[in-house]
Amino acid sequence: MTPSPFHPINLVLGLIIWALWFVLLYGGLSIGCAFAPPDAGDGAWTWINAASLVVALMVTGYLLTCAYACWKASSPSSAAKAQPLNTFISKTSAAVYLVSAVASLMLVLPGVRLPPCV
Amino acid sequence: MTNLSEEANCKREAQLEHVWGNLPGWGALAAVNHTSIGFRFMATGMIFFLIGGVLAMLIRTQLAMPEQEIIEASLYNQIFTMHGTVMMFLFAIPVLEGVAMYLVPKMIGTRDLVFPRLSALGYYCYLFGGVIILSSLVLEVAPDAGWFMYTPLSSNTYSPGPGSDFWLLGITFVEISAISAGVELVVSILRTRANGMALNKMPIFCWYILAMALMIVFGFPPLILGSVLLELERAVGFVFFETSGGGDPLLWQHLFWMFGHPEVYIIFLPAAGIVSTLIPVFARQPLVGYRWVVLGIITMGFVSFGLWVHHMFTVGIPQLAQAFFSIASMLVAVPTGIQIFAWLATLWQGKVVFHLPMLWIVGFLVVFVCGGLTGVMLALVPFNWQVHDTHFVVAHLHYVLVGGMLFPLIAGFYYWLPHVSGRMPSDKMGRWGFWLFFGGFNTTFLLMHLTGLLGMPRRVYTYEAGLGWDWLNLISSIGGFIMAIGVAVIIVDIVLHFRFGRRAEQNPWGADTLEWAIPMPVNAYNFSSMPDITTRHPMWENPELVESIAAGEHGLAEVQSLRRDIYGSDAVTGKVREVVHLPTNSWLPLMTATVLAVVCVSLLIKAYLIALAAAAVALVLVLRWSWENGAHPRAAPVGTNDPVDPPLHSRTCDGPGLWGMVVSLMANGTLYVSLLFGWFYLWTAAPQWSTPETSPLALIPLAASGILLTLAVMIYHGAVSRLRKRNAGSLGLRLWLASAIGFTHWCLLAWVLQTSSLQPTELAHDAVLTVALYYLLLHSGLAMIFTVLQALRVQRGYVGSSLPYEPIVIQPFWVYTLGVFWLSFAMFLLLPMAWGAP
Repeated sequence: MTPSPFHPINLVLGLIIWALWFVLLYGGLSIGCAFAPPDAGDGAWTWINAASLVVALMVTGYLLTCAYACWKASSPSSAAKAQPLNTFISKTSAAVYLVSAVASLMLVLPGVRLPPCV
Repeated sequence: MTNLSEEANCKREAQLEHVWGNLPGWGALAAVNHTSIGFRFMATGMIFFLIGGVLAMLIRTQLAMPEQEIIEASLYNQIFTMHGTVMMFLFAIPVLEGVAMYLVPKMIGTRDLVFPRLSALGYYCYLFGGVIILSSLVLEVAPDAGWFMYTPLSSNTYSPGPGSDFWLLGITFVEISAISAGVELVVSILRTRANGMALNKMPIFCWYILAMALMIVFGFPPLILGSVLLELERAVGFVFFETSGGGDPLLWQHLFWMFGHPEVYIIFLPAAGIVSTLIPVFARQPLVGYRWVVLGIITMGFVSFGLWVHHMFTVGIPQLAQAFFSIASMLVAVPTGIQIFAWLATLWQGKVVFHLPMLWIVGFLVVFVCGGLTGVMLALVPFNWQVHDTHFVVAHLHYVLVGGMLFPLIAGFYYWLPHVSGRMPSDKMGRWGFWLFFGGFNTTFLLMHLTGLLGMPRRVYTYEAGLGWDWLNLISSIGGFIMAIGVAVIIVDIVLHFRFGRRAEQNPWGADTLEWAIPMPVNAYNFSSMPDITTRHPMWENPELVESIAAGEHGLAEVQSLRRDIYGSDAVTGKVREVVHLPTNSWLPLMTATVLAVVCVSLLIKAYLIALAAAAVALVLVLRWSWENGAHPRAAPVGTNDPVDPPLHSRTCDGPGLWGMVVSLMANGTLYVSLLFGWFYLWTAAPQWSTPETSPLALIPLAASGILLTLAVMIYHGAVSRLRKRNAGSLGLRLWLASAIGFTHWCLLAWVLQTSSLQPTELAHDAVLTVALYYLLLHSGLAMIFTVLQALRVQRGYVGSSLPYEPIVIQPFWVYTLGVFWLSFAMFLLLPMAWGAP
């Protein structure tokens, strides 16, 4: 479910999702380590890191879908809607979603190497 | 549109000046006009800058040679604390707010900011807060725990004197000013742009200020909360940061840096806005990649909130969590890089004219890029550990802050000086000032990186000879004095130019933005008539705007009913939707700020009854302030000549006040979420967190009070829904009913608090709950009082079917109050019970 690609909320929605994901990731890590810490000897391959990676892939996938939707809406084939303001909003939003997707995925990459609670 | 004879036009402009001008003499203190307030912010900020600069010189004098005793250790602690505090809180942010307040209305083609009295209140809060903080230095009781006031150093045990209290109360006072400016700028940019100025036609500077203002709205509340909690701990012994009662000193660090790191970008963004405005002018070339720069601004605004822990890499946070913040710290270099490449591309494509402001821009590019690179180095955890708390960090932060803020600011000062004075600065003196400052700055801080790498810690008042730091410190100190001479030359240049500068022609730099379409020096009302703007470069594409605006050929050329009118426009398309009538000169902001200063000083001297009484007076003043709105005789009484298309904003259901309420609630919500963060942080991380054996609160009465609140909100919502359909039948009765039920809820909630077994001075658990309950009481009480006021306004005829505006503005406050009540009930009571705690 995505808003209209010409709605200005798209200019910030991707990064709002990124921010919520960041809070969930950091908060979830803290709570996970406080109440159900995995064995330090397991290294990076723990349920916390695995869950983080799975959620990150879902968030990234959603953000990429939004980016594609916004980009497609501003393409010449949808010229009927391509007023300068609409084009501005949808193209900028596509870039915001793309940046958000990359940023969301990058956050969890250290989890491939680092144990969560050490 | 009208085309008037010259005589009629002069008469018309005289009337505009009469309506928009300040009162004469001491009456200027009642000014609310954005030009006056913007100037005052800038002038006051520069005075604080000079004070901060003198403190810096004292630091450099002391450190110039090893084993000096010019300044003893405790005084040195006060000096470096006050240097950081003054520069960050009393100079950098306020002066940039002043620049924004002065420029934004002129750039978006309007006559004032949308909440002028709020501008004035913000200024006086800033002034009084600053004076209170500085008075501690004069009284020799200045805070001495560093500008970030880490606990437990700033707590009662290690800072028993009043220094920390001065800091906590004074800074909170100043932050009222910052948040008021943030709300004001957000709503002004979104809702009062010139007709046709869609988002994609907005001056790039306004994008930067919009991001900065929103960052203030979300960035400052965590520190306000932290300051309130620490002051409660110091003053009445509540436990938040004391480990023994279940608190944690690291909570302060989190709350501080949740504010502190975004603050760096709050400072950088408007400065970068100046750069993005000036480079196209001096390159004679539109900004390359406008959309990319907007992307960079938005991304920076968000990502900068995800970096705060990189100031805390050495406190024992798990490596993976550190890695999240390390990644985010590196990510923020991407939007910065986008902007730098856009600036370079603009310079590359254009034909650059090296006027004086451009020199400062080049200086910015060099210094800021160096600071950015050391920032990326510090984002790497192992390197960060090595140089933590050394002079390397001091050098880095000065490269970022002076490079990223002061250089563009001075460029901006020189650029807009002719706008203010109608005269040009001296090119020769200006260049001397630049090279002295640039040379002195790099002499001071470039070598300081090496001093830090050689291991010299920050905040030491002296050092032994022979550690390899002697010559580096001496050269840094010499550089510091050269920089100070540069500042003196710049000040002399600016002061002298008001008398000796040659007269500036209209738009002397050949700029593209709208502020250059108004007379120089600037008048009180900016635009004699308000033009439609459909381009990002109005002065390049339509230079005759200067004449047509002055001739009254555009909108709102005539003064109506002696009101200060501006256009209210759609946030996205910029199309005009209403005429916003603004309040005129008022003493209420000064009176309110004065009474708030009494609150602040009373708290400092622990005269709590006086503080309470003064707070009540402040509330009465604010209510009086809100009384003089809408159809009040001093605002816009209903008349036969009221404009219909577009209508007056107070006759609509979606005026700027509603936006102001929502943006204010965003700040308020951030404060509440910070409290929730504190709750969960202490719960999960505090080493000695404990909960009482039985629940300290009576849950059923608490739930009953929540049901009453829900009922009050439903009644209020019903009344507003009918009002939106222009049905004001029994409106007053419904508002009285909502108030009465709200009052019953408030009494029950107060009873729950009164009869509770909370021990906030013993347990952090109870201290957080107590703060949450007072927060709820405050909001319920205010919602009730606001509604009583609306009911009275219905009786007076200021609110009704044709005047539906004000109850609609208050509706989000009721909804917010209800939301935080039930969220608190769930998070503070139900969740711990579900987890097994009482």
